[in-house]
Amino acid sequence: MNALATIWTVLCKELRDISRDRRTLALTLLLGPLLFPAIILGMGMLAEKKARTQIEKELEVPTIGAERAPNLVSFLRTQGIRVVDAPEDLEQAIRDQRVEVGLEIGEEFAEAWHAGRPALVEVLVDRSQRNNDIPVGRVRGALEAYSSQVGALRLLARGVDPSVVQAVSPATRDVATDEARRGMLLSMILPYFLLITAFLGGAALVLDATAGERERQSLEPLLATPAGRGAIVSGKIAAACLLGLVSLLLSLLAIKLSAQMATGVARQMDVSALSIAKMLFVLLPMLLIGTSLLTLLAASAKSLKEAQSHMSWLMLLPMIPTLVLMVNPVKIQSWQFAVPFLAQNQMLLRVIRSEPVSASEWGIYLGCSLGLALLLWVGAVLRYRQEKLAIST
Amino acid sequence: MIIAQDLHKQFKTRTGTVKAVSGVGFQAHDGQITGLLGPNGAGKTTTLRMLYTLMQPDSGHIEVDGIDPARDPMAVRRALGVLPDARGVYKRLTARENIAYFARLHGLSAQRTAERIAALSDALDMGEILDRQTEGFSQGQRTKTAIARALVHDPRNVILDEPTNGLDVMTTRAMRQFLFGLRDQGRCVIFSSHIMQEVAALCDRIVIIAKGQVVAAGTADELRAQTGQSSLEEAFVKVIGSEEGLEA
Repeated sequence: MNALATIWTVLCKELRDISRDRRTLALTLLLGPLLFPAIILGMGMLAEKKARTQIEKELEVPTIGAERAPNLVSFLRTQGIRVVDAPEDLEQAIRDQRVEVGLEIGEEFAEAWHAGRPALVEVLVDRSQRNNDIPVGRVRGALEAYSSQVGALRLLARGVDPSVVQAVSPATRDVATDEARRGMLLSMILPYFLLITAFLGGAALVLDATAGERERQSLEPLLATPAGRGAIVSGKIAAACLLGLVSLLLSLLAIKLSAQMATGVARQMDVSALSIAKMLFVLLPMLLIGTSLLTLLAASAKSLKEAQSHMSWLMLLPMIPTLVLMVNPVKIQSWQFAVPFLAQNQMLLRVIRSEPVSASEWGIYLGCSLGLALLLWVGAVLRYRQEKLAIST
Repeated sequence: MIIAQDLHKQFKTRTGTVKAVSGVGFQAHDGQITGLLGPNGAGKTTTLRMLYTLMQPDSGHIEVDGIDPARDPMAVRRALGVLPDARGVYKRLTARENIAYFARLHGLSAQRTAERIAALSDALDMGEILDRQTEGFSQGQRTKTAIARALVHDPRNVILDEPTNGLDVMTTRAMRQFLFGLRDQGRCVIFSSHIMQEVAALCDRIVIIAKGQVVAAGTADELRAQTGQSSLEEAFVKVIGSEEGLEA
């Protein structure tokens, strides 16, 4: 019997076997497609909602010495900022996050004001809290507006056109910081989840078909048939890859749909059919690497439990380049396309941002990742040829 | 016809080297049931594993229908039907699918597979369980499925490792009839057991193994004559030096 026929037979059997295990199959196939839209849409909605409420809601700002600047207080009022009395220890209250932002109007405010000198108003803020970016921005913006308004009036009173002191007119909207953050998060999280889906998409089947088969004592009779061991293990890997591929395809379609429904940054992702096909192509070697590695590990494990315990560190592996890039953002260089996980990460980012990938980069990427996949596959085949493997007791 | 000559096999474990088999040799002829009898841990399973090519002997020689498994293991596997000690079936597949899977791995055509499954199902009385998923099968039903799976390619030589282990009396009796049937078809049947009564009831020739070596071999009559004992039971006790394996 030739190897291809054996591979096909094993493939069909493994897929039929897992198709009867509805729950495992559903988890394998649907987890990704449900998770991605939740992340993309959910995160977007959350960020937007937060931004909107923080921008539109009336902001209460505890202020020390409010009575020294009644005009400022009433101006702030028109900007949706209500000045309230400061608690006993305002600084501590900010540190405890009971107050997002506070103001302190200097004691010499009135004096400086009347003398036409810059009057001191301090914004009290805890910079280590990211949560208060928007309220702080609002307070600062209002103060600057008040300052330039009054400044302009003073110039007019002296017969000078106020616009001469304003060489440039910068305008920033606070929402921008939030959008950028969301975009960053997406670009970090999306490749990671895609990588995980590809890397461990076939895991349930692999574990069941290797360590599980050994534990249930059906491996010994299987290896006593004239079917080649290389073909048997290849059939199992092929079945797992096929399952992983379907799960990946569903995930990518889910991303496409949710990106089209989403607002903001997610909308800017390139999810055309071509780009989806590219992403799938980028992830294919990862699928092969993941299933082969898992087959190798699971075949070496003494029990299904031991094999499953590998999953915890395997799930962290694809995260490493993401973390490294987060801490130390580097320029994309060609060697990076040779490093597993990092390469996929960079490729995916490029595709998502619809940046071009050069032929040589494709070459390095495919050569290295397929080479690694081949190496792991050979390892799994050799593992299956060992005498010890078949002995389940 | 299966010939084993002076087989040796040792394993390295953490506590040292274990000599599982040290000098097992016998001949199993076509049209006969050859029983390997010995207490647990005597080396029966290891011997059988070497016969069905799962392990390579450290030294010694094996021939299955004149083929050396060291040279052509695939041909030997094709000539053998094996019920190993481990006889797990795929729980989510039906008995028929389990058997058909192995038939396809042996390269049988769909039509031939259907014929063989029908024949084996008749012989093993599997009609009712054939299209049920094997999850929840009794020990006997699982063993039947495993035997049908092992014999689906109609092999001339059959190796069964403790086939009656864990079966009830009725199933054991049916199994015996099935094995007699295989013998009468002219096949070479090797069968291992640690239960003397089982071997006495079934086997044409008995090979007694203890501590990795053959301690006696022959028909029941020859064994009695060799040991000078009137009953097979006494003969067995005498050659292995203990009463292990007398209790079923």
